[in-house]
Amino acid sequence: MDERLQKALDFSNYRQTLAIQRKTLKEKINARLTYGCNGGLFKIDQTLIAFVQMLINEGRVENIPLIDINENPILIADLNAFRDEILDRYFSATYEYLEEYQKIKSSRTVEKLLDL
Amino acid sequence: MTKGILIFAHNNPQIDYGLMAIISAGLAKKNLKVPVSLVTDKWTIAWLKESNMYSKAESIFDKIIEVDKPVTKNYRKLHDGFNSQTIPFENSNRFSVWDLSPYDKTLMIDSDYLIFSTVLNEYWDIEAPVMMSHSMNDITGDRAGILDNRVSETGIHMFWATTVMFDKSPESQFFFKLVDFIKDNYRYYADLFRFSPKQFRNDIAFSIAKHIMNGFETEFVYTLPPVFTIFDKDILLDVDKEKLIFLVDKPLDCGSFWASATKGVDVHIINKQSIIRNKDKLLELI
Repeated sequence: MDERLQKALDFSNYRQTLAIQRKTLKEKINARLTYGCNGGLFKIDQTLIAFVQMLINEGRVENIPLIDINENPILIADLNAFRDEILDRYFSATYEYLEEYQKIKSSRTVEKLLDL
Repeated sequence: MTKGILIFAHNNPQIDYGLMAIISAGLAKKNLKVPVSLVTDKWTIAWLKESNMYSKAESIFDKIIEVDKPVTKNYRKLHDGFNSQTIPFENSNRFSVWDLSPYDKTLMIDSDYLIFSTVLNEYWDIEAPVMMSHSMNDITGDRAGILDNRVSETGIHMFWATTVMFDKSPESQFFFKLVDFIKDNYRYYADLFRFSPKQFRNDIAFSIAKHIMNGFETEFVYTLPPVFTIFDKDILLDVDKEKLIFLVDKPLDCGSFWASATKGVDVHIINKQSIIRNKDKLLELI
């Protein structure tokens, strides 16, 4: 192992490395939950999913204006397709988050945190 | 609508920007699946040929656009971990990107920006003439200073020109002409916005242009994601498949590092020498 890395690992603050890894993971997942659609940009979260599902439950499924993260109205032609897309992306990102978070949580050394 | 990426690369005696552009372009093309073109000069092309990288460049780049090397009196101090050197910084021709880009919608990235995700693909269809990153995120979250967020202590908000997306509208053309004007009158704008004119920075020129174009207001509507940044005092130590392993400089503890790693995250690695040192493993990822 590279001497500088060995030195860094020897003296590294485990909690700091943990914090950096958690922050990096959070940012990665947040970025993955950004969805560009019809010229708008949406943050996929529980609120958006619940609102879209409520509209579908109310029978409003075609040509629906949704407000994007920049507070601009974006016309969604097929809300069912939009719901399916955001759910796919939500689960894909959150399962990855869960898997990587558990790996981080159970790592008790810097080497394990970085999967070296 | 055609879309693609453009990278500027002008070598200097210390840094092989041409090689970095090949790495950056290869990763961008692989992950975003759009064509990438290079803007460079005859000296950088000559070095790519001499270092046997030109055929690689031809296979990766959609177009290699040769321009005159910008004349510079611009120098910057660049660290490589705790070592540093002052190097010429040939960055003054970015304003010409509007005329040079062969695409209807262009993402301009720095050659030290390595793309490992598809996040930027979400932004192609947004109807905004010019989008830039609204902020920089330091890997630790707490080392960014005020001058990473504002053009000066009392100045306007700083956007980051590491990633810039623009269309070919008249508005975006005005924007880049304005950047050129600001570059030509950099001392005046330094006086007006209270920043040091010693070194021309695209981030500052672009931020002022954006500020002026917004009617002298700072507006955060439609910006690109924050630039996830690894400072030049940090070191890219190793590349293990798609995982990048970093030594992260401990502030207030000279000579010590934290260890960290990223995977699947787009990263701006300011320590260019450490990219070059890992060129073989990075080229394997392309």
